[in-house]
Amino acid sequence: MTTDKVVVGTLAGAFGVMGEVRLKSFCADPAAIADYVPLTTDKGLTFHQIILTGQTTNGFTARVDGISTKEQADALKGVELFAERSLLPSLPDDEFYHADLIGLPVHDTGGVFLGTVKAVMNHGAGDLLEVHGGTLPASILLPFTRAVVPTVDLAAGRIVADPPPGLF
Amino acid sequence: MARSVWKGPFVDAYVLKKAEASREGGRSEVIKIWSRRSTILPQFVGLTFGVYNGKKHIPVNVTEDMIGQKFGEYSPTRTYYGHAADKKAKRK
Repeated sequence: MTTDKVVVGTLAGAFGVMGEVRLKSFCADPAAIADYVPLTTDKGLTFHQIILTGQTTNGFTARVDGISTKEQADALKGVELFAERSLLPSLPDDEFYHADLIGLPVHDTGGVFLGTVKAVMNHGAGDLLEVHGGTLPASILLPFTRAVVPTVDLAAGRIVADPPPGLF
Repeated sequence: MARSVWKGPFVDAYVLKKAEASREGGRSEVIKIWSRRSTILPQFVGLTFGVYNGKKHIPVNVTEDMIGQKFGEYSPTRTYYGHAADKKAKRK
């Protein structure tokens, strides 16, 4: 399901007393969070500039425009940062953003609704789509290959899967 | 201490039987196994195993660079979802 905004990180509180913040990044390349500005929050704030100043446990230290004191930084602790989906670079064929796949309905080749994509995971043996809901008693994991998932139509918002025997 | 070379790699016998039967059948099915301790052998390349993680079978499509590893390494027993952010998935 293509959404307008994706969560790319969160503010984790103040760093020092000079208005710097601790920043947790959820990006594949953590430092890329600074490239997706402007970042918005669900409180209606917009940050146009993020300068990463260093690293800390589980994240970065950063200077963010609009946050100049420790009190301001502490007040925003735990706030999620959203980037515009349109700012993410376009991908070649057969590569998809997790954010685009999650929530898409999955049908089998006969048109029967199987469920929706709950998560995309990779344990070292290729990407897997976790499908749940629909007619399934429990969630199933579909290998994200051309053979098992022949059609991914983001425009129409649907995935067609051909689950191999033994998967259920 | 590493396993002695003269013993050869360990594989549960039923895994070998199931893999052989699947290869002879020529069907692309998921071979359900519970043996996480078995070593991945060259004859498993191209097959898809469903490796049990204590709750469900995780599909593992065996490729050449997995040879010598154990099946359990590709079937984690704990789940962490995290955030999608800008992460990508590639269809192979």
